Amino acid sequence: MKNSNSSIYSKVQRNWDWRAAGNFIGGGVGSGLIFWSILLSPLGYDSLWLMLAGLALVGTGLFCVWLEIGRPWRALNVFKHVSTSWMSREAIVAPPLFAAGAACWLFEPLLAWPTALLALLFLYSQSRILLADKGIPAWRHPRCPQLVITTGLTEGCGLLILALPLIDTHQPWSWALMLILLGLRVLAWQHYRAGLEQASAPPACQKKFTAINPQFLWLGHIAPAVLLGFAFVQAEAAMLAGILAIGSGAWMKYTLICKASFIQGYSMQHIPVRGQRAPQRSVSAH
Amino acid sequence: MNSSNTKTVPSYCYNCVAGPDPMKVEVVDGVATQVMPNFDACDSHPGKGRPCVKAYGLVQKTYNPHRVLQPMKRTNPNKGMDEDPGFVPISWDEALTLLTDKLNSIRAKGLIDEQGTPRTAATFGHGGTPMYYMGTFPAFLASWGPIDFSFGSGQGVKCVHSEHLYGEFWHRAFTVAADTPYTRYVLSLGTNVDATGGPCAIARHADARVRGYKRVQVEPHQSVTGATAAEWVPIRPKTDAAFMFALIHSMLHDHPRNELDIDFLRDQTASPYLVGPDGLYLRDPDSAKPLIWDSEQQQAVPFDRVNVIPALEGTFKVGHAISVDADDERHQLNDIEATTGFNKLLDHVAQYSPDWAARICDIPADTIRRIASEYLDNACIGETIEIDGATLPFRPVAVTLGKSVNNGWGAYECCWARTVMATLVGALEVPGGTLGTTVRLNRPHEDRLRSVKPGIDGFMEQKLNPTDKENWVAKPTGRNAHTTLVPIVGSSAWSQALGPTQLAWMFQKDRPEGFNLPEPTKPDIWFIFRSNPAISFWDTRSLNKSIADFPYTVSFAYTLDETNWMADLLLPEATDLESTQLIPIGGTKFVEQFWKHKGAILRQKVVEPQGEAKDFTWISTELAKRMDLLDKYNTAINRGAGGVAPLRGEGYDFSLDINKAHQPDEIWDAVCKATSTELSNNEETKDLDWYKENGLYLKPIPQKSWYLYPTMKELGIRFEMPYQERLLRIGKELGNRLHEKDIAWWDEQLSEYSALPEWHDIPGRWETALKNEGADPDDYPFWLLATKSMQYHTGANVSIQLMREVSQNVRGHTGVIMNSNSAAKLGIANGDRVEIRSNIGVTIGRAELIQGVRPDTLVIVGQFDHWATPYAKDLEMPSLNTIAPMSLELTDATGSGADIVRVAISKVKGETS
Amino acid sequence: MTRYAMTVDLRRCVGCQTCTAACKQKNGTAPGVQWRKVLDIETGEFPDVRRTFMPVACMHCDEPPCEEVCPTTATQKRDDGLVSIDYDMCIGCSNCVMACPYEARSIAHDVKFAYGDKPMANEAKMFDPARIEVASKCTFCIERIDQAHEQGLTPGVHPEVTPACVNSCASGAMLFGDIEDPNSNVSKLLKETQSFRQHEELGTGPGVYYIWDKNDEEL
Ligand SMILES: Nc1nc2c(c(=O)[nH]1)N[C@H]1C(S)=C(S)[C@@H](COP(=O)(O)OP(=O)(O)OC[C@H]3O[C@@H](n4cnc5c(=O)[nH]c(N)nc54)[C@H](O)[C@@H]3O)O[C@H]1N2
Ligand SMILES: Nc1nc2c(c(=O)[nH]1)N[C@H]1C(S)=C(S)[C@@H](COP(=O)(O)OP(=O)(O)OC[C@H]3O[C@@H](n4cnc5c(=O)[nH]c(N)nc54)[C@H](O)[C@@H]3O)O[C@H]1N2
Ligand code: SF4
Ligand code: SF4
Ligand code: SF4
Ligand code: SF4
Ligand code: SF4
Ligand SMILES: [Mo]
Repeated sequence: MKNSNSSIYSKVQRNWDWRAAGNFIGGGVGSGLIFWSILLSPLGYDSLWLMLAGLALVGTGLFCVWLEIGRPWRALNVFKHVSTSWMSREAIVAPPLFAAGAACWLFEPLLAWPTALLALLFLYSQSRILLADKGIPAWRHPRCPQLVITTGLTEGCGLLILALPLIDTHQPWSWALMLILLGLRVLAWQHYRAGLEQASAPPACQKKFTAINPQFLWLGHIAPAVLLGFAFVQAEAAMLAGILAIGSGAWMKYTLICKASFIQGYSMQHIPVRGQRAPQRSVSAH
Repeated sequence: MNSSNTKTVPSYCYNCVAGPDPMKVEVVDGVATQVMPNFDACDSHPGKGRPCVKAYGLVQKTYNPHRVLQPMKRTNPNKGMDEDPGFVPISWDEALTLLTDKLNSIRAKGLIDEQGTPRTAATFGHGGTPMYYMGTFPAFLASWGPIDFSFGSGQGVKCVHSEHLYGEFWHRAFTVAADTPYTRYVLSLGTNVDATGGPCAIARHADARVRGYKRVQVEPHQSVTGATAAEWVPIRPKTDAAFMFALIHSMLHDHPRNELDIDFLRDQTASPYLVGPDGLYLRDPDSAKPLIWDSEQQQAVPFDRVNVIPALEGTFKVGHAISVDADDERHQLNDIEATTGFNKLLDHVAQYSPDWAARICDIPADTIRRIASEYLDNACIGETIEIDGATLPFRPVAVTLGKSVNNGWGAYECCWARTVMATLVGALEVPGGTLGTTVRLNRPHEDRLRSVKPGIDGFMEQKLNPTDKENWVAKPTGRNAHTTLVPIVGSSAWSQALGPTQLAWMFQKDRPEGFNLPEPTKPDIWFIFRSNPAISFWDTRSLNKSIADFPYTVSFAYTLDETNWMADLLLPEATDLESTQLIPIGGTKFVEQFWKHKGAILRQKVVEPQGEAKDFTWISTELAKRMDLLDKYNTAINRGAGGVAPLRGEGYDFSLDINKAHQPDEIWDAVCKATSTELSNNEETKDLDWYKENGLYLKPIPQKSWYLYPTMKELGIRFEMPYQERLLRIGKELGNRLHEKDIAWWDEQLSEYSALPEWHDIPGRWETALKNEGADPDDYPFWLLATKSMQYHTGANVSIQLMREVSQNVRGHTGVIMNSNSAAKLGIANGDRVEIRSNIGVTIGRAELIQGVRPDTLVIVGQFDHWATPYAKDLEMPSLNTIAPMSLELTDATGSGADIVRVAISKVKGETS
Repeated sequence: MTRYAMTVDLRRCVGCQTCTAACKQKNGTAPGVQWRKVLDIETGEFPDVRRTFMPVACMHCDEPPCEEVCPTTATQKRDDGLVSIDYDMCIGCSNCVMACPYEARSIAHDVKFAYGDKPMANEAKMFDPARIEVASKCTFCIERIDQAHEQGLTPGVHPEVTPACVNSCASGAMLFGDIEDPNSNVSKLLKETQSFRQHEELGTGPGVYYIWDKNDEEL
C-alpha cells in the first residue's frame, strides 16, 4: 500500500528531549566508569575518585530526568511499580547504588564490588526501559539493550582512559580493553541496524542511523582504534581515543533517544469496502 | 459532570441548510458545557437524533470572547477596509431610537425610491437559515412594507441554483436527492452529501453502503463524498454536461429499448408529444393542445384523448396542425412530417458518443459506457414496491448534482440531463430514484405534493415571471431585476433572493454597454444578518467597496466581520443557545431530511444571553412598538409569519391582542399551542413549557409523501421531459422583450433557452472571459474550485476554535489542495506557502499535496481569507472568492455562476520549503 | 467476565470529526489535546486513489504496555478492560507515552484555553488542574461506565452510560459493549463482519476493532 499523504506516517516522539537523553548518556557513561574502575583497583582504594565521578554522572542523569518529568514533587511515586516497570527498577537501584558508593568511600573500599554490580544493574535497567517502550520501534527492538549496554561500557572505559592519567598513570591494559569494547560496540551497532531493517522499522528512523553511520564508524571506532595503537608510542593519543569513544557514543545515544525515535504510526490493514467493490480500472487509460 | 445543578435541555441546530437537527445541551450551574444528541428523536429524525460536528461549536459560539455584546454605533464617517469604524457602545434605547429615526425618515420619503425600488434592503445569508434564528423579525418586515432582497451573499446564485429553478420546474424539487434508503446505484456529479448533507444524509448513506449500494462520484477531486463512494471518476471541470450527454447517448443508442421504462416515458412524460419542423409542439388546431400519435388509429390526436396508446418513436405525416410560437404567434402547418419528443432526443444525442465525450471530459469511453450499463442494470425496470399500502414503481437508480455542476454555465444542461436520465428509466420521483426534497418557489412550502396543480399542455402549473408584451416587468422592482430577466425564478417570497443577485452588486459599479434599465440606486437602509457577502461572494475586495458606499447599514451582529466593518449600527441578538423560536420540522426540508413525521421543534433559551444580547423577537416587537406598527406586526404573527401555524384556525384561537407589545415567551407560547393544536387536529394543545421539556412535537406522515409520482398520476399530469418546448418559447419571448427595449447585454444568456440543450465549449467560456479581459489563458493553467467543509457552515463559524482544531484533521483545511505531481513540476513542496493568482487578484495559503485531485485542478475548502473577523483573521487561509471575478459574461440564464476560476500557482517568493 | 470493547465500522465513517469534537467537549480537553481523532488517509496514485477515514484513540489493550512501564501504577488496567490513569499519582514521566504503540497518550504541559489565557465560562466549568503535566488519554468515558453499575444500565445500549463519541457519531460507525457477552451489539456485529485490530503483532490485544467488510460466510 503506497501512502501519498502523511497522516499515518510516523513522526519522531517529542516527549523526551535532551534531558531524557542526558539520563541515558550520564547513566551509561557513569555506570560504565564505575564498573571499569573495579578492574583498575579490585580492592577499591585507587578507584574511589573514579567511582565518585561515575556516581556524579549517574546523579546528573537522574537530575535531568527530574527536570523532565511533569510533576517533579511527586517523584517518589516512581518506586511504586517494581513488579513490571523498568523505570521503577532503575529508580530502585539508584539509592542502593549511591548508598554503596558512599559507604565505599566513607567506610569500606571493598564495597566497590557491590557498587559496580549495582551500576551494571542500573545500566541494564536503562536498556530495559527502552526495550519496554513498544511505541518506538527503534527502542523496542530486542537488539537495542545490547547496544545500550555495550555503548555504556565503552563510554565508561573511554572516560576511564581519559581520567587515569589525571589520578594515576596511563594503563595500557585499559587501551586493550577499549579496543575490545570498540569491537563489541561496532558489532552491536551493525547487528542492531540489521535487526531494524529486518523488522521493517520506520524508514525515517533507519535513515537517521544511516546518516550518522560513517562518522560513528570512523570517528567513533576506527579513529579511536588507530589512536589506541598509536598510544603505545605516544600515550596521550589514548586520551583522544577516549574522548572520541565517549563523544561518539553520546551522540549515537542522543540520536537514538531524540532523533531516531520515530513512533510506531498507525496501520490500516484493509481499505473498507464502501458499498459495491470498486471496479478494477487500468491506470494506463489516463 | 454530575452535579445536581446539571440539566440537559432539548433544542435544535439549523446552522446550515441540511438542518434542522435535534440536539440536547448540557447546562451546569447555568453554563452550557456540551452538546449531545437528542435520542428522544432517535426513531423519528433521519439522522437518529444526532447533530453534526458543527453543532458542537455552539458552546464556544455562546461564550466566544469576541462577541459583540452591546449595541454599537459607528463614529468614523468614512468607510473602507482601512478605516477603523470606531464603534462605540451605546444602550439599546439609544440604538433603537437611532434606528427608528432612520426608518421614520425613510417612511417620510416614501418606501419606494425614485427608480421604483424599495429604499429598504435586507440580506439574510446562508441558504435561508437565518429565518430560523430571527424569531418574529419576518413579521416586522411584513408590517414594514416593500423590501429589496436583491443583494445576495452568494446564497442562491452560488448555491445549487439551476437545480433550484429547473428542479422546481420539472418536479418540484428545490433540492434534489437520491432516495438513499432504497436506491442501488447513485451517480453523483459533485454532490458532496457526506460533507454537506448533515447527519441525515450521512446516516442514510452509511446505511446504504453497508447494505451494498454503489455510489459513483464524478468529481475533479476526491472529496469526502468521493472518498466514501465505491468509485471515483476524476472528470475535467465543467464538462459534466458532455459526460451526461454521452451517458444518455449510450443508453439510447448502445442498449435495446426495453432496458428503458417505455411505459413511463409514454404515459408520464412529454416524450410522445409531436414536434413539428419548426421545433414547436404540434397542436390541435381547435384546442391548441399538443398532439400525440395514436398508434392504433394512426392519427394525431390531442395528448389527453383517452384510451389512446401514443407512439413513442417514429416519424408521422400530419395533415393539419398548428404550432404556437413566442408571443402567441400561431403557425398553420399542413401536411408536414412530425416526430416525437423522444425521437428528437434520440437524434439530438446521436452526436454525443462516449468516444466524443472521452476527449472532452478526460474519462475513458469505456468507463462512460460501463456506467451507462450499470445504471440500466440497476434500474429494475418493471419492478414495484409496496409503500404505505400503495404499489409504486421501484427504480433504484439516482443521479445527483453538486454545487458548481448545477450552477453557472452548463448547469441547465446538467440539470436537464440529470432529469432525462431519471426519466428514461422511470426513476423520477419513485422509490429508489431521484427525488425532490422541498419546494421554495412554489407554495405551499410545507407540502410539496400540494404545490402541484394541473397547468397547460398536460404539465404542472408554473408560476413564471411573465414574458408576454403586456405583462413583462420592464422596470425591475428590485435591484437584481429577477422579474425582468429570469422568468423561471418566479416572483414568490423566495424568488428575489434567487434572482441574479450579483447583478445588483455589479450594477452598483459598472453597467454593461447599452444599459438602459433604471439606474440602480443605493438602498437608504440595509439590514444584514448572518451573512457576510464581503467574504462569501465573488470579487470580494471590490464588492466590499460597494458595501462601503451604502449610506446606512444595520447589522445584527455576532462578532465584527468584513461586512459589518462598514455598518453604522451593530445590534447584538441573543444567538443559538440564548433565544426562543418554534419552527416546522419534517415534511419538506432541504437536502436529505426525509422524515416520516411532521411537526414543530423548539429552539429555546438554554442559557441566559451573554451581555446585552437580546432575543430577536424582543428586538422585533420593540421596533414594531416604536414604529407604531404593533397592529400590523401582531396581525402578521397571528397569520403565522413568526412561526409554524396561524394562531387562529379551525376550532382554536390563540391569537394575540394586536395592539399590545408581547414578550417573546408570550408569543411563542401562543405559537406552540396553535401549532400542536393544528397538527393534532384539535386533539391536544401543548404550551411552551411542554415544548421546553420535550423539545419537539411530531405526528406521523406517510412515507408515500416523499414521492411525487403518485400525485402526478392521480392528477393526470406529465413530467415536462425531455423536450423543452416551453422554455424555448419563453426564451424567444424574453428575447423579443429585451430587444424591443434595446437590451443586447443579456443575449448570451438567451442562448440557454433551447428545447434540447446542445454541448458548447463550457469550460471555454472561462478562457474566453480571460481573453476578453485582455489576459492570456495560458498564464492561468489551473482550474481552481471550491468545496465545502464538514466542520464549517460557509463562513459563519470561522471564529470557533473547536472547529478550527478538529478541521485540521481533515485535508484541505490548511490551504490549497494540489496534485503532488503537478506541484513537483513547479518545485512546490507540501506545506509551502503559495500564492494563487487569477487575473483579478492573489490569495495566499499553504500547499496541501495529494494524489486525489486532477493534475490540472486546485481546490480551496470553504470560504476564508478574513481580515476583520476576530480569530478567523489570524488564520492565513486562502479563498477562491478573493480572486474569482464577478462578471455578466460568466452569469448563466438563471442568473447564477459557478465557483470556478482559472489560476496560476507559485511558491511565495523568498520562502524556502 | 466483562470486557468492554469498541467497534469502528470503516465503511460508515465519513471523517466528520463529530466524535472528535464530542469527546473534547464531554471531557473538557484543552485546545490541541485530542483523546480521539479521525485520520484522513490517502492511498494509491492518481487516478487510482482511495481515501479512508480511520478513528483512533486508546485501544484499552488487554496487555497494555503503558501499564507495564508506568513506574507509579498511575496507569492501571481494570477487570472490565478499561485502562485508566490516576492523575494524582502520575508524575508525568512520559514513559507510557513511549510505550503506547497507538499514539493514544499525551501530556499537556501548559494551561491553555480556546481564546488565549482566559477561560470562557464553559472552560472554567470543565477545567481540571489535575490534568496538567500528567499523562491523559481516552478513558472509554469511565465515569459513565461506572454509573452503569449504579443505575443498572448497560453501556453501549443506554446512551447515558455509553461513551460520548459513540453516541455522537453521525454515521453510526461505532458500537460499544461487552465483547465477552455473545449477545452484545459488538459481539453480534463482529460475527457478521470482517475486522482487524491495529498492530496485533505487538501482542497488546487492542480492544478496538475495525470493521472493513461483511463476513463472506454471511453472503
Ligand atoms: N468560496 C466559496 N464561497 C461560497 C461558497 C463556497 O462553498 N465556497 N458557498 C456559497 C453558498 S452556497 C452560500 S449559501 C453562501 C453563504 O454565505 P453567507 O450568506 O455570507 O453566509 P454565512 O457565511 O453563513 O454567514 C456568515 C456571517 O454570519 C455571522 N453569524 C454567524 N452566526 C451568527 C449569529 O448567531 N448571529 C449573527 N448576528 N450573525 C451570525 C458570521 O459572523 C458571519 O459574518 O456562500 C457562498 N460562497
Ligand atoms: N458542512 C456544510 N454543509 C453544508 C454547507 C456548509 O457550508 N457546510 N452549506 C450548505 C449550502 S448553503 C449548500 S448550497 C450546500 C451545497 O452542497 P454541495 O453541492 O454538496 O457543496 P460542495 O461541497 O461545494 O460540493 C460541490 C462539489 O463539486 C465539485 N465540483 C466543482 N466543480 C465541478 C465540476 O465542474 N464538475 C464536477 N463533477 N464537480 C465539480 C467540488 O469540488 C465540490 O466538491 O451545502 C449545504 N450544506
Ligand atoms: S447539519 Fe447543519 S443544521 Fe444539522 S446539525 Fe449540522 S450544522 Fe446543524
Ligand atoms: S492504546 Fe496505548 S494507552 Fe491505550 S491501553 Fe493500549 S498501550 Fe495503553
Ligand atoms: S506519565 Fe504518568 S501514567 Fe505515564 S508512565 Fe509516567 S507516571 Fe505512569
Ligand atoms: S470513549 Fe470517551 S474518552 Fe474515549 S474517545 Fe470516546 S468520548 Fe473520548
Ligand atoms: S463521528 Fe463517526 S463518522 Fe464522524 S468521524 Fe467520527 S467515527 Fe467517523
Ligand atoms: Mo448555499
